[in-house]
Amino acid sequence: MRIRRMLALGASTLVLFSACATGGGSSTSPSSSAGSPVASSSGSQTSSASATATAAPPTVKIGSAGFYEVKIVAEIYAEALEAKGYKVDRVGIGLGTRDVTNPALESGQIDLEPEYIGSELAAYDPGKQTGDPQENLTNLQAVLATKGGGITVLPFSPAADQNAFVVRPETASQFNLKTLSDTTAVQDQLKWGLATDCKTNPVCAAALKSAYGLQPKNVTYLSACDTPMAQALLSKTIDVGELCSTQPDISKNGWTVLQDDKQTQPADNIAPLVRNDLLAKMPDQDAFEAVLNAVSAKLTTAALTQLNAAFTFDNKDVNDIAAGWLKDNGLDH
Amino acid sequence: MGFVSAAVAWFADAANWSGPGGIPQRLLEHVLVSGLAMIIALAIVLPLGLWIGHRRRGAAVAVGLAGLGRAVPTLAAIAIVLPITAAYDPQLGFKLYPVVLAMILLAAPPILVNAYTGIVEVDPDLVEAARGMGMTGPQVLGRVELPLALPVVIGGIRSATVQVIATATLGSIFGFGGLGRFLIDGIANHDTGQIFGGVVLVAALALVAEAGLAGLQRVLAPARGG
Repeated sequence: MRIRRMLALGASTLVLFSACATGGGSSTSPSSSAGSPVASSSGSQTSSASATATAAPPTVKIGSAGFYEVKIVAEIYAEALEAKGYKVDRVGIGLGTRDVTNPALESGQIDLEPEYIGSELAAYDPGKQTGDPQENLTNLQAVLATKGGGITVLPFSPAADQNAFVVRPETASQFNLKTLSDTTAVQDQLKWGLATDCKTNPVCAAALKSAYGLQPKNVTYLSACDTPMAQALLSKTIDVGELCSTQPDISKNGWTVLQDDKQTQPADNIAPLVRNDLLAKMPDQDAFEAVLNAVSAKLTTAALTQLNAAFTFDNKDVNDIAAGWLKDNGLDH
Repeated sequence: MGFVSAAVAWFADAANWSGPGGIPQRLLEHVLVSGLAMIIALAIVLPLGLWIGHRRRGAAVAVGLAGLGRAVPTLAAIAIVLPITAAYDPQLGFKLYPVVLAMILLAAPPILVNAYTGIVEVDPDLVEAARGMGMTGPQVLGRVELPLALPVVIGGIRSATVQVIATATLGSIFGFGGLGRFLIDGIANHDTGQIFGGVVLVAALALVAEAGLAGLQRVLAPARGG
């Protein structure tokens, strides 16, 4: 009896699973059929050729990585497009890490995705990323031109979320620190908080030593861009902390970001990645790109930090944060 | 089995055995923080548990509190305590005190519950007989109840010690040294040998402590015949 019941349970679970699978499959087709069919399996060349003639712009399937900052940015691009009459499918927002988002973009499961150009380049070509955003963009475009039938990297935003060496304002004034170069002479008077992987990470210990002559002696190793690092800087356990440039703790505590004047840290400016077949299907490709570029141009590191703070400290909803920012910048109509 | 050879290579590397980040120093840090936490926990909780068992009163409150202590995740305990202690001492208040306090919290429940249980489970007839012989309360506790309860009491200390040694590794997330450093740094640097080497060291230390306390138990409370 028990075995039979288990079998029945197993069978019903299977039915449930297959129902979910077909449900998920069928739910994506109406969204893509609203514009022109973007079947991931069928040849994209033929479908794009036939779609160019049609007038209505296709639905834009937007995706993003899973953490809140990039979800806010993806939502901003989504709402900006909607404000100009484009149809948007948000099914890919918050997908997960690059192991998931890159194949999703290459296979056409998503059409558009905001990315950090330095880290995205490193994901495809480790070690190629530099401190110069233009160089990262050029190299990333070269890599992505051949991926998934062609992917375009639109102009990057001034907003960058990258490693930043941060001090309290009183430390900055005491030692007259504005750039990382300024710390070289006083490095032994400072207590450093560096990333746990600093010793083996080429852009950490090795870069700090070769570019700035920094070989800090008093170091506490903590997870970079994380709460313990911010807490250590706050409680004066450390004087210099390795945070991320858009980390809301920086604006909340009025900390000073030391300028990476030798450009040692990979420039991780945000740029929208768009599939070429989507661009080809747009009745007016320039107008479509202009919507995205207008957002990128207005987005700054400081603005991004404030958006993050609204999420982290004020517990605001991602959609509301995005809508508010677009309204403030006149991009909501 | 790549991780085994990686760990063997890590142990064989002489550079890992010297200096401020070497195995001996990390081991010492780990023993010190675990030992400090255990001594403080024992000093506070052991007398309390014995007394509650002896008076057979307040057990519900004590056991309830111990259960509550068990319910607080150690990582959360460190994170809650840290901003407070770090405000008093930016260095030790960040790296050391939170771990010690969290380890005390972790060690207290098994010590308390076993001390109480051990005393309560002593045959009431023996306690009555001792009182009948004219023993005072402290004499009954010290000469009758405690010797009979000792295996259970030390059992609690043993289990607390092993838990503390294993969990003190969490302190490395907040900049403390100790053997957890090998785990945290090993993961961050994708160094399998260091991770597994750290695991072996933590396990070995826990086993040594366990064996030592088992030996102590045998000396203090030898198995009684008949």
